[in-house]
Amino acid sequence: MLKDITIGQYIPGDTPVHNLDPRVKIVITFTFIAALFLVNKFFGYLFIIGFMAMAVYFSKIPVKQLFKGLKPLIIIILLTVALNIFMTEGEVIYTIWKLKVTKEGLIQAGFMALRLIFLITGASLLTLTTSPISLTDGIEKLLNPLKKVGVPAHELAMMMTIALRFIPTLLEETDKIMKAQMARGADFETGNIISRAKAMVPLLVPLFISAFRRADELALAMEARCYRGGENRTRMKQLMIERRDYVAIIITVIFMAAVLWSRYAVI
Amino acid sequence: MNTKYLAKSSLLAAVYVVLTIVLGDFSYGPVQFRIAEALVLLPLVEPSAIMGVTVGCIIANIFGGYGPIDIFGGSAVTLLAAYLTSKMPNKILGAIPPIALNGLIVSIWVSKFSGLPYLLVAANIALGEFFAAGVLGILLVSVYSKYIKTSR
Repeated sequence: MLKDITIGQYIPGDTPVHNLDPRVKIVITFTFIAALFLVNKFFGYLFIIGFMAMAVYFSKIPVKQLFKGLKPLIIIILLTVALNIFMTEGEVIYTIWKLKVTKEGLIQAGFMALRLIFLITGASLLTLTTSPISLTDGIEKLLNPLKKVGVPAHELAMMMTIALRFIPTLLEETDKIMKAQMARGADFETGNIISRAKAMVPLLVPLFISAFRRADELALAMEARCYRGGENRTRMKQLMIERRDYVAIIITVIFMAAVLWSRYAVI
Repeated sequence: MNTKYLAKSSLLAAVYVVLTIVLGDFSYGPVQFRIAEALVLLPLVEPSAIMGVTVGCIIANIFGGYGPIDIFGGSAVTLLAAYLTSKMPNKILGAIPPIALNGLIVSIWVSKFSGLPYLLVAANIALGEFFAAGVLGILLVSVYSKYIKTSR
């Protein structure tokens, strides 16, 4: 039943985008999102499209895969477009019953739809090309400066790594528990929200108990191997900024400059 | 942070992610009903759940694919909510931080991105959170103190 569930979006690959340092990729994605909010003319989107196209081309991610992430959001995008078309005041070009379609509304709606589409596709490009483990490494390194103010960056990354390792195990366990309870007559799929919530109890109790048992064993095993936190720990894979990372940073800076130019230049 | 706490938090995080994946048709996006959010009430009875749900939320949001704002922002809100919940005197009051904080804060960027009215998004998220954290969460906490704690 749960065997064919795919966890996450990551598509392995050996491309310049896949091989970028995860820190660089996270920062670039943030920059891209900031750029989306700075664009205020339609021709500014040319730079966004150019940047996205380049990233997609080098990452060899199928465009179809990229747009898959938009599927659950189609209703939201349509709602956004509709609300913006009808709610914006301005020059009326068409009237349906009491609803007025304005020129400004159409422009605003197109803008919002484009922004939303690029936001989602841009963000999923990060998770499509970066494995959760290397994202974890990236997050740990990015949070490192915050250690001084008490953010437990190493422990956070350790917890993420352990959790990632146990997700498949617990998925299998959940599957077993569900089947065992269904064999005893449990019903997870019918009834109203309250009875469904109650139906979750026979699933959650064994799941928690088994998770805690595993946690106890794990803590014992870690202590037996003298785990004592982040100090002086070495790692097998060191994150290093390489030439391709510098190239990516330079391209992003140029892209950001172009977006800023499109916003403030008088044309 | 000792090893036991770390191991427990990690496993709770894994449970959060598993519940998000298994039961997660509506776990992401503007119309959210994430059953795993029932776990945000656990800090009331289990301190290691504060970090547990936070880490679980980070991983679930990495899998979700809505990008860094969801990964960092959404998880920060969950951390704050879990911490405040752990300080609450009872279950009913404990459900207030996750409902209020997710409804009021997460909706800021969701409405900013989608251009939808802030109040509409806030009401929507708060409603989903009310069923997950409010109804299922309170049930989970009662079951937890009754069966799970005594079984260990």
